[in-house]
Amino acid sequence: MSDDIKKYFNGLLHKVSGLYVIQITDRDGVPLLRVSHNQEKNVDFALMPSFIPTFTTACDQASKLGLGRNKTIISMYSNYQVVQMNKLPLILTFVGAEDCNTGHILALEHQVDGYLEDIKLAVTEP
Amino acid sequence: MEEQLEKVLSEIVTQHDTVGALLANRQGLCLGAKGNINPNVSGIGMAISEQVAKLEPNNTVPATICLYSGNKRCVIQKDGEITGIIYKQTATTSTSATN
Repeated sequence: MSDDIKKYFNGLLHKVSGLYVIQITDRDGVPLLRVSHNQEKNVDFALMPSFIPTFTTACDQASKLGLGRNKTIISMYSNYQVVQMNKLPLILTFVGAEDCNTGHILALEHQVDGYLEDIKLAVTEP
Repeated sequence: MEEQLEKVLSEIVTQHDTVGALLANRQGLCLGAKGNINPNVSGIGMAISEQVAKLEPNNTVPATICLYSGNKRCVIQKDGEITGIIYKQTATTSTSATN
């Protein structure tokens, strides 16, 4: 099952030009699945211990703005863009080039839901 | 701020057979949408136009893409930083039903 999911996300990674990494973690940043281009830029910062918990905190704070539950945070940097999706208990992180198609990444949200269900089960099972 | 954009989109939607129109920026994010069109298609529309542009990299004239599906059509054109996506739907002809 895990191989199928990895293959699926690898396919997604190749569909979006300029996308370097897709990673699925829990809300504490524990990596569950990561697919990346081997030859592409080093984007290990996405697995830094502070990276995902910072998103979780920002997401919780953004949910208090009175606009409803925060779903996605897009961060634009000079060399990268990071799209993080709140799919609790999972966090989905996309890291791409600064000129990567953000709209295409956002459109993937509903496509991956089915595959995330299987991983969610693995996280929530006692 | 986006009054001009809204005006242009409204004009497009009033055209014959047009059911929806959308404009996307260079990041594939929706700048505005009018009519029966999902704003989430902005990214995919832009991705299609970028792929098509690779077919003829030396061509300076922007390509127009037309996707046919039943009685619906999706027209995509990228011009500079802006990509336009238009959904068209032709009314089904009653002649085929009667024959």
